[in-house]
Formats: sequence, structure tokens, C-alpha cells
Amino acid sequence: MTFSLSRRSFLASSTAALLAAGTLPSWAQQSQLRLIFWGGQARADRTYGVVDLFTKDHSDVSIEGEFLGWADYWPKVATQTAGGNQPDIIQMDYRYIGEYARRGSLAPLDEYVGAGLDTSSFDEDQLRNGTVDGKLIGISLGVAAGAAVYNTKVLADAGVEIDPMRWTYDDLLTQGPKVSESTGGAVAMAPDGSGIELLFENWLRQKGKALYADGQPAFAPEDVTEWFELWAELRAAKAIISPDEQAIDTGVLETAPLVRGKSAMNFTTSNQLVAYQTLIPDPLGIAIYPATSPDSTGGHYRNSSQYFALSSTSAAPEKAVEFINFFVNNPEAASLLGVERGVPASAAMRDAVAATLDERGQMVVQYIADLGEIAGDVPPTPPASAGEIEVALKTKSQEVSFGAQSPADAGPAFYNEVIQTLGRTN
Amino acid sequence: MTVQNVATAPQAGVPKTSVWRRIWQQDGPGYLFLLPWFIGFFGLTLGPMISSLYLSFTHFDLLTAPRWAGVDNYVRMFTNDPKFAASMRVTMFFVIFSVPLKLAFALGVAMLLNRGMKGLPLYRALFYLPSLLGASVAIAILWRQIFAGDGLVNKFLSIFGIVGPSWISNPNYSLWTLIVLAIWQFGSPMIIFLAGLRQIPQDMYEAASLDGASKWRQFWKITLPLLTPVVFFNAIIQTIEAFKSFTPAFIISGGTGNPINSTLFYTLYLYQEAFGFFRMGYASALAWVLLALVAVFTAFSFLTSKYWVHYDD
Repeated sequence: MTFSLSRRSFLASSTAALLAAGTLPSWAQQSQLRLIFWGGQARADRTYGVVDLFTKDHSDVSIEGEFLGWADYWPKVATQTAGGNQPDIIQMDYRYIGEYARRGSLAPLDEYVGAGLDTSSFDEDQLRNGTVDGKLIGISLGVAAGAAVYNTKVLADAGVEIDPMRWTYDDLLTQGPKVSESTGGAVAMAPDGSGIELLFENWLRQKGKALYADGQPAFAPEDVTEWFELWAELRAAKAIISPDEQAIDTGVLETAPLVRGKSAMNFTTSNQLVAYQTLIPDPLGIAIYPATSPDSTGGHYRNSSQYFALSSTSAAPEKAVEFINFFVNNPEAASLLGVERGVPASAAMRDAVAATLDERGQMVVQYIADLGEIAGDVPPTPPASAGEIEVALKTKSQEVSFGAQSPADAGPAFYNEVIQTLGRTN
Repeated sequence: MTVQNVATAPQAGVPKTSVWRRIWQQDGPGYLFLLPWFIGFFGLTLGPMISSLYLSFTHFDLLTAPRWAGVDNYVRMFTNDPKFAASMRVTMFFVIFSVPLKLAFALGVAMLLNRGMKGLPLYRALFYLPSLLGASVAIAILWRQIFAGDGLVNKFLSIFGIVGPSWISNPNYSLWTLIVLAIWQFGSPMIIFLAGLRQIPQDMYEAASLDGASKWRQFWKITLPLLTPVVFFNAIIQTIEAFKSFTPAFIISGGTGNPINSTLFYTLYLYQEAFGFFRMGYASALAWVLLALVAVFTAFSFLTSKYWVHYDD
């Protein structure tokens, strides 16, 4: 009896001690934040540089970062979110931000604006890009736009000249063959862009259409057919690389035909010029996506390359917002980041980085500035299945390029696939 | 009858706990030692399986609570999902070609090694090595390099003036490169074959050669029949492995199953649906169909085994 009593009291007291230890840890003042982003090593180095800079001044905060490639990133974030294990600060893409925000896993930032989060010198359109259903969800980490990055040496050697802000699909068709002729077929002028969603969108917009409007496709099956026919013509003229060379590209920088020396160009976004230049010894140039005619406008737009968003389950939201604010508003941080994530969305930071930028960085800033007259409005937040449709276009483009389906059949087929995907419940 | 009553009556007064105590004293330590396995089995295998069975009847996007869907997912799969059909074709093709080829290759190498050569343990280890490396990311990346347009294979072919395609990214050949990768990992069936070959009594071969049977005939009439239990075992294990194959296709195609879904393994499609497109309910249904499929294949093998597997006892 006495034994069982004493054991019980022992249990009780030890439990109390455990509880006390749980609620009053010795590091109570320390906030631990987790940060996740996609990108390559160049981006990680710059990001962690800013983290170190921030934690040097904020000894009460420690930040644990994690970065992955694009394809692995979304499964990881989804699993963490479902498991209640979401990092505090999450890098977001315009294709996914709506999906996460509408399901309540990202916290609105409106209450912090002016109270810890300074957006006073931010570009209006960049704030609008990060707004979902009237609430500010994502803080733009940079302005970027669709761009063709090209190897100046390869083009010059082949005697190809393009006007970076006015070149067209016709130029690609007529001048492209020179590159493969002069290199004995080893290098083509451009990759096969028929499966690149951003490029397709750009071409649609130049025709006065769009990818989506009100959650529905804003193009017709005939547009898709015309698009695939355009690329079939370029392929036949050897202006672009072969389908099997294109299929090697899995979306990782290292597998891009431009990096592997198979094409003189890649269709990407303006901020990527910096990352590509670290992988290619020849000097790179930047141009618009090909125009349908030299004076065509409205295809490009000033996108936000990515956002930082705050998890709605963050245990220390104020600290997380403080870090986000530091990331986009501190001049030292801005000069560390450069324009690798795009041109800073804040005018003050643009001035701060301008002086410290190298030649490629300056070119990116100049490109965004030059785009002013050509660019159109930013499209609305895409529907939830946008990520899936991006993959579907890639697969469909391969069916056409490898000859499994004709452009005439592929147009309606892809259109139906889009309708089905958009109409499907998860 | 009465005896039973008498026997049970006095025990009724004994508290029940003593029975439990006796069990505990007898078997307790055993269960205690099994505890880690129990925790693993119930917590990490059975629990998730049951919840995935439930989820397969729901729409679940990971971010919001699952919604009951009845058999919607299963109906969709068999009536209105071209990608499901495509992934099923790819996986079946892979299983049907990779398993027999791998087993044949493994048996061939095992028979070569069985001729009592010097340094056998070394060769055995070397041939086993690919099996250890096979499912790794590094090998999948290496495979990309070997079978790419300017890869090792085409460099070799160019000696003979042949210009090969980019094997790995051409829809006509990409699945074959994965089959070759699977065959290359012949190590574990080979080790088992080798052990099986050792068990065949040498005097049978001696008697057969005295009767004038050729090597070829000896293989068909002695080696293969006596080896059928091992072939059967290897076939079952390798078939299940082939159905589950995921990593190489994932790495080589960058997770897309491209070109033109030609490497869209069933498991890869399942993964895409679950983690790429947030359709956990549908993915769970896919997983259960795969389980049923593997079970049917295995059951079929067991049922037919009595016609071709010879156990000598």
C-alpha cells in the first residue's frame, strides 16, 4: 500500500516536472523559423547570405533553410502542409499561390502592412500580383518577364543577327537554319518551345487571347493546332533542336539544351539570365520571346518571379514577417540578392542594387525597363489545375514532335484535356 | 458434462487477472521483444494501409478534409482515364519483358560462375554490386548520360558509323533503356540461382554424360527441372519488384513519365496524382488497384506452379 502510494506520488510529481519543462524551456526567448524555397545553388548561396545577415542583428531568431529543385518542391510543400509541418516562410509561385491561399494554409499579410511590413515603395502591380481574393498573400521577390536567353558567341559565329526587342518567329525560321548549317547540325538556334507553357501563353496574348479567363481556357482548339503547326515548320527547317534532344530537358537548369550546348537559346524568364551565365562560359544576351510581327505588343507582362508567403500555422508570425520585410527592404540584403530572383519590386531597392550589379544584372534591369512599351496587363491568378496543365502541354507537344499525333488532331485533343482537367474535382 | 461443471466451478472464484498474469509471465518477454516490430507494423504499415483504403473512397486534396466520394475514383479509373490506361500498359510491358530477361541473364551468369572458377567470391560480389546500386539516384543519372544523344552508347556505335538516337528521351526506346537497367541489376536472383545450382547432385550429370547426353540436353532435362523451385521463387520476387519499380523512371524523366508518357510507370502516375496534382483519394485508389493486381499475378503463379515446379521431396 505504501509502496503503491509512493509510486503514484512519484509519477505525479515527475509528470508535473515534465509539463513544467515543456512549457518553460530555457530558450523561451528564441524563435525558430523555417524557410523553404526552390532554386539552384546560386540562389541558395544568396538566400543564406541574407539569413546570416538577418540573424546577426536578430539574435533572438534562428532560421533553418531548405531548398529543392522545382519538380521536387511542390510535393514536399504539399506533404509538409498536410502533415501540419509547414515551414513558416514559403516561397510561392503564381500557379500555386491561389490554391494554397484559398485553402487557408497561407496567412493574409494585410494586418502587418505598415506594422512590421513596409510596402510603401513597392510597385503597384507587384502588390496586386500577390493579392488573392482581395487579401495580400504573397510578397513579390522580384519582377520578371518571359525572356529568351541566348549565346551571343554561337549566334555571331553563325552570322545570325537579331534585334533583341523586336525579333520574330519569321526571323527564327529564316535565320535559324544558319546555326545548324554552320555547326554541322550539332547546334540549333532555339530549343523546341512548343511545350513551354509561358511561351504558348505569350503567343496567345500577342493574338489578343489568353491562357485562362475565369477559370476556363481563353483560347480555341484551332489556336493550339496553329501553334503546333508553327513549331512543325520550324522543326522541318532545322531552326530548332530535335524532339529527342528536347525531351532530355527535365526543367532543371543543367539539362537545358542551352547549357548542354545543343541550342544557342532558351525560352525562360528574365531573372534566369544570371543563373544561366554561371553555367555557360560564353557571354549571354537577353531578348524577348519571338514576336508574331516586329511591332506586336501585349504578349509579355511584368510577372512576379516568386513570392514569400507566411504559413497560417506559423508559431512566430511577427518574426517571420520581420524576416520577409528584411528580405525585400534592406539595402544590404538587396545587394546580396542582386537580380537572381528578378528585379526588386521596391523602387528603393532597385536604386540600392543598381550600383552593385554586374553586367548581366544590369542587362536584366534594362530588359525589364525596355519591356515597358511592349508589355501588357498581368493575367489573373490561374485556376487550381494550372500546374497539371503545364505538364499536359509538354506531353502533348512531344506527341506532335515525335509524330504520334498531327497538329490538326492535337489541337482539339489538348483543348479537351484542359477542359476535363479544369472540371475535375480533386 | 458434470465433470466439466465441477472443474470450472472452483475456478470461477479466482480473479481473471491471474490468467493474464500467467500469460504475461510465459510470453510477456517474447512480446516485449517483438514490440518494436509491432509498433512498426501497426503504426507504419497496417494503420496507413487502412487509412489509405478509406481515402480511396474520398476526394482528398491534402489541404482540406477528405470528402466521401463512394466508388467514384474506381469508376473513373476504369472508364475515363487515358493516363491510367497508359501507365498500366507501360508497367505491364516492363514486367513482361524485364522479369524473364533478367532471370535468364541471372541464370546464365550463375551457370558460368558455377564451373568452379578461381576467385569466385570476388566475381560474385562484383556481379552483385549493381543490385545494390540499382535503385539509387546516382545510377539513374548515370543511365541518362550513357543513353543520351551524345552518350557512351552512341559514341560506341559511331565507331561503326551508326548514328544512334537519344535512346533515353525517344519514346520508342526510352522504356527499353529502363528494361536494360533492370536486367543489369541481376545480382540477387543470380546469387539465389547459384545456391540452387550447388544443390543439384553431380552424379546426375555424370550418369547423363555416360549415357551420352549433350550439355544442352543436360540443361533442359536435369538443371532446369531441378531448379524450378528457385526459378519460381525468383520469378515471384522479381515480378513484385518490377511492379513496384519507381526511382529510375522518376529520375530519368524528371518525374513526368515523358517522353509521351512512355516511361509513365504505374507507381510514377500514382505519385504524380498524389503529390503533383494533390489527388490523394484517387492516388489511394490507384494504390489499392496495384495491390490487387500484384496479388492476382502472384496467386496465378502459385496456382500454375504445380504444373511446372518440381519439388524433389
